Amino acid sequence: MTTTIRHRLALAVLAVCVVAAGCGGSDDKASTNGTGEALLGLFRIDAGACDGATVTGSYFRMVQSGGTVQDGPYVANGDSPCEDKSLTVLAPGTDGGLRTGEFQPQPSPAFDATGNATSDRIAKPQAWFAVAFGVSTNEKDPQTGATVPAPTITVTDGVLTGDLSAVGASWNGQEFNQGAPKPGGGSASATTGPTGTYDPTTGAFTLEWSSKIDGGPFTNFTGVWHLEGTFEPK
Amino acid sequence: MSSRHAAPRSGALALILVLGVALAAAPAAFQMFSRAPEGGHMIEEFRPYMRTAKIDEFRGYLDEIDAANAEVSDHLAASPDRTPRPALAELAQEWPTINDDMGDMLTTMRANIGRFRGISALPPFVLFPWFFVLPGVITAGLAGSVLLARRQGLDTVGRHRALVAMGLGVVLAPAIFQMFSRAPGGADMIEEFRPLMTDQRVATIQGYFLTLGAAEGELRTALLPAVDAADPSGSSLPAARAFSEHWPKISEDMAPMIGTMADNLDNFAAVDALPPFWAFPWFFVVPGLGIAALALPGARRRPAALEERPSADGSHTSPVLEGNRS
Repeated sequence: MTTTIRHRLALAVLAVCVVAAGCGGSDDKASTNGTGEALLGLFRIDAGACDGATVTGSYFRMVQSGGTVQDGPYVANGDSPCEDKSLTVLAPGTDGGLRTGEFQPQPSPAFDATGNATSDRIAKPQAWFAVAFGVSTNEKDPQTGATVPAPTITVTDGVLTGDLSAVGASWNGQEFNQGAPKPGGGSASATTGPTGTYDPTTGAFTLEWSSKIDGGPFTNFTGVWHLEGTFEPK
Repeated sequence: MSSRHAAPRSGALALILVLGVALAAAPAAFQMFSRAPEGGHMIEEFRPYMRTAKIDEFRGYLDEIDAANAEVSDHLAASPDRTPRPALAELAQEWPTINDDMGDMLTTMRANIGRFRGISALPPFVLFPWFFVLPGVITAGLAGSVLLARRQGLDTVGRHRALVAMGLGVVLAPAIFQMFSRAPGGADMIEEFRPLMTDQRVATIQGYFLTLGAAEGELRTALLPAVDAADPSGSSLPAARAFSEHWPKISEDMAPMIGTMADNLDNFAAVDALPPFWAFPWFFVVPGLGIAALALPGARRRPAALEERPSADGSHTSPVLEGNRS
């Protein structure tokens, strides 16, 4: 009897181990907390484009101090090709988009002689107030110096959530953490997401987050990011 | 006390001890351990901007934008092209305010360069609390040791002299560090910077930056191409072209200055919450004089000085020959 119980316990433990290994064995869709799948790979972004007042694809905009993500007021970027100058469209960088599970750090130096950002892996640097900004993910956040985890995105019933605290923007010799949540896990009122949608059949995704800037020339402004494209598992 | 006695009573020594403890405790009472280093950070971060050359450079930017704005405004008023230029129109409307406000800020900064240099030439702010703590602890320790020595009937002249020296050292410290001239200047500077170092003020200057940047963008991407289409020589609107050409440099200088202001609001508030700078020298002079004056009578050695020796009940009624106790 005792031997039987021990055998059954051993089988049960083995079964749990096998199931656990099966769930965690795949790099591209690792289980997280048993409630969703971690999407490990490349969130390849579609280039943003404007048609009149309509924008498609990926873009960035900035909410002015005291404004709201929904209603602005937004910063008008004179370099935007869009009718709505608050929208700065993004184009895929050399990596094609945002990678999860690993960092896409800014190069050294992070700026050229005129302050243009040199980070070009996630998205091509885009002119903003005449100077190009870049996007990167760094293990040590360049603005705060905090150590942050590599980006993670999880899908649950087609809805995306995750940790993008490693996202940073660089512009004109300045570094701005643009993570959500903020490094250290804090989430100021205007810092929301990431959230979005994911179609497992086509890989199509939308991913949005906002990140309040804490410190520097745009302190209390909020960066709003909208990425869309196709997820490519690792 | 005997009429031949010059040594201070225990009450005077207790007062010296209290002064020492007060000196040592002052930094904690004024939260100097946290506030003084914040002041030091602020000094370091503002240092690049508190220079005549840098301020004159910013003044030059204002002049350049002023010329560009005037030129563009004249052009738009005279041009048959009625295409809306909202960002340039906003600059034209806001510029007088921006120019006055930024100009006043630069004037304030320029006027305070000397004061800033005085403050930044003081010993590192992070050490300030220790300038109180160390003499305070030493003074309290010496006063305590005198009290103990007197109970034991020991010679205390040397300790009294050390107390006098400590008191005089505390008195002289502000003079050595030129605090009498620098500290009031720092107080004036804090007063003049107070209106600049607020959230509202930073937000206002951020707004100026957005107005300028948006106008430059519209100038570069819309107006100048339209002008060049009509006149390919590229010689029209020279001031506007110069502004646009220099804008990356202007924004490269202006953005971090705004960032420095924004990032130092808390540091400024910490410094502003300290006692007034002008009072700092007196925080040394007054207790220092008190210590020296109270200790002086006991520092004078006389040929047959009598030391008051406390009786068992603590009263001071048994003069003893000091020389026999040494």
